[in-house]
Amino acid sequence: MHDVVTFQRVSKRFGATLALDEVSLSVPEGQIAVLLGLSGSGKSTLLRHVDGLQRASAGSVSVLGTDLATASGARLRALRRRVGFVFQQFHLVGALTVLENVCTGALGTLRGPRLGLFTYPKRVRQEALGHLDRVGLAEQAFQRADTLSGGQQQRVAIARALLQRPEILLADEPVASLDPESAGQVMGLLREISAEQNLTVLCSLHQVDLALSWGDRVVGLRSGRVVLDRQAAGLGRDEAMAVYSAVARVPAAA
Amino acid sequence: MSRAVAERRTLPAPSGPGMAATVVVLAILGAGVWAASDLGINVATLVDSVGNAADFARRMFPLDFPSAGELLRLCGTTLAIVVSATLLSVLLSVPAAVLAAGNTTPNAAARVGSRAAIVLARAVPDVVLAIVFIRVFGLGSMAGVLAMGLHSVGMVGKLYADAVEQIDEGPRTAVRAGGAGRSQELASGVLPQVLPAFVSTALHRFDINLRVSVLLGFVGVDGLGFAIASAFRELDYRRGMALAFVVLVLCVLAELLSGAIRRALTRAPLSRARPAPGRISPPWTPSRVRRNVYGLVAALVVLASLWGAELSPAGFVDGLSRLGTTLGLFWPPETGGILPDLLTALWVTVKIALAATLLGAVLALPIGVLAARNVAPSPRVGAVFRGLIVLIRGIPELVLAVVFVVLTGLGEVAGTLALAVGAVGLLGKLVADSLEEVDERVENAVRATGATRWQVFASATVPQAAPAFVGHVLYQLDVNIRSATLLGIVGAGGIGFYLQNASRVLEFGVVTTVLLLVFALAMAVELIAVWLRRVAG
Repeated sequence: MHDVVTFQRVSKRFGATLALDEVSLSVPEGQIAVLLGLSGSGKSTLLRHVDGLQRASAGSVSVLGTDLATASGARLRALRRRVGFVFQQFHLVGALTVLENVCTGALGTLRGPRLGLFTYPKRVRQEALGHLDRVGLAEQAFQRADTLSGGQQQRVAIARALLQRPEILLADEPVASLDPESAGQVMGLLREISAEQNLTVLCSLHQVDLALSWGDRVVGLRSGRVVLDRQAAGLGRDEAMAVYSAVARVPAAA
Repeated sequence: MSRAVAERRTLPAPSGPGMAATVVVLAILGAGVWAASDLGINVATLVDSVGNAADFARRMFPLDFPSAGELLRLCGTTLAIVVSATLLSVLLSVPAAVLAAGNTTPNAAARVGSRAAIVLARAVPDVVLAIVFIRVFGLGSMAGVLAMGLHSVGMVGKLYADAVEQIDEGPRTAVRAGGAGRSQELASGVLPQVLPAFVSTALHRFDINLRVSVLLGFVGVDGLGFAIASAFRELDYRRGMALAFVVLVLCVLAELLSGAIRRALTRAPLSRARPAPGRISPPWTPSRVRRNVYGLVAALVVLASLWGAELSPAGFVDGLSRLGTTLGLFWPPETGGILPDLLTALWVTVKIALAATLLGAVLALPIGVLAARNVAPSPRVGAVFRGLIVLIRGIPELVLAVVFVVLTGLGEVAGTLALAVGAVGLLGKLVADSLEEVDERVENAVRATGATRWQVFASATVPQAAPAFVGHVLYQLDVNIRSATLLGIVGAGGIGFYLQNASRVLEFGVVTTVLLLVFALAMAVELIAVWLRRVAG
């Protein structure tokens, strides 16, 4: 299986802080890679580099054969179309219907601005409804998005990302705002979809247990450096927890 | 503990900026008291005017309404001008706001340019714009639409830009992450979030423009205001007051209607209808039908207004060719040899604004307190005082000024009293709103200690709302300085007299001088307000 995401000695500097420090990482197609680490360890920054929402200060990022150092404008948008993104705070427009929120996932393939469900082509609406059905929310299609619970809103956000027909799905702490039951549902959904569509998933998490049970591979970050990179199977809970301790040294090898 | 508790201060040491802020606020209050007494506003003046009131009533009643057809025509013209002007301001404000908001602006130059244009639009009073445009486009509707439309951008554009800056960036990031372009990002990530605020601001501006349209009538813009001005010029108080009454009714109706629409906007529509299998558009629930009907009615109203305002594109283009020459008349500023008179009149305007703000605050504080839902002794009392505020807000300041000119004679007292009463409408509402916005949990915590109603009010409600009060009073002072300028047009004292007079005798350089003086004054107040907010906030 070929690699779809390749980071080579990537550093990112925000003023005086070094958010990423010479990160090298390759993710093969179809893998679920989980990023673990404290707040501020660089997990979100790393994910945002995959989608070109942020640009590396040094090193190279290559995603689906596109070099993100040079891509801009139409080429960058073309890449983003192939990469779905799910956020901790869902990022839905509360005042719009659930279905219209999902439809915004198709904007990359449509021309011109859209506002109002009727401005989206019928095939887009049909496909969007299909994805809502997939995440179990077809019945709520015409409710306002802000009338849904947190877990439901996150599933809508996943349906929105699926409408892009992505080859890679990025999830930035997708369950950090959810209760344990909804968190399990959302992670299970990601796992199923990944298996169904051979979708590569990069997901940052706070909970070691979730990482071990839902991920194929666990990558630990501390202060912008990769301090752990192992297959989830056979990785002990204590070894994974060590990512969170400031003093413990974890061998940075796979 | 290094020192015994008994030796420590139980009151904090006074801080420098805090003291300075207190001194400035007290100075403004003192200036208000001095201005009121200097203008001769006292019990004797008020008693005198009671006598005039009886006389006035005799000349005013019975009210003489024009024929139904004529009345409809006047109302129709006024509404058409006001709707068209508000629409123009919205159309100009949306792009201005996108350029001016820090999160959507393409670059710093566009941002500064757009902000400057918005400030400039607010700085030039609509009456002055109307004077200019009437010279360019002639008497009628066009001048009114352009004057109100452009001036409104000063408020609408600013509030739109603020709304855009306050959005949740999340949906926008999500849309961008999906590969959307810039215009798609704005339409799908930004616009849905700000739409309720946009509509609500437009409706608010519509209310304001409806009141302003009366004033514009006095300089020649068609509609009810023009008819009122003609009637008063012929000392026909029966007709003038009848028309003023019609304006009042229109304003109150508009205020109630736009309030209802704004409330409906903030309520989430319940659309729990289950979609039929395979259906990809929302079902026609009653709420969806209602929303579509509202939309259709709004579109028809706008179309009817554009038609009713008789805006001719040819006349517009023709006028534009004359715009340069006309603006040339206003430059350079001239004093017409009456600079000392102008400065004296400006000083009177300042006194009117200060005294009116003080009197207005004295009236508005208790009324606002009684109108606040969480403070009013009973819901009924709250509703009565809310209603009173809405009613006063509905009265155009100009109508108040005309009434007081008749009651107390031409001059400063009339202007001061008119502005003071008018201030109750704005300041009372702001006071009531900021009281209602306080954190209830804090009030409950104090209530839980066994505090009385007054104790809760004093130690939980007031401290939370007090900084806003100071801001509101300064805002009112700013509004009053601008209004005090304009009320001179109907003889209510101050520099407005010279503004009207200079434009009538075609000394446009003097108009510019008056404008610059008022602008400098308003800026000074603005700077004080900004400084106080920083120190107090």
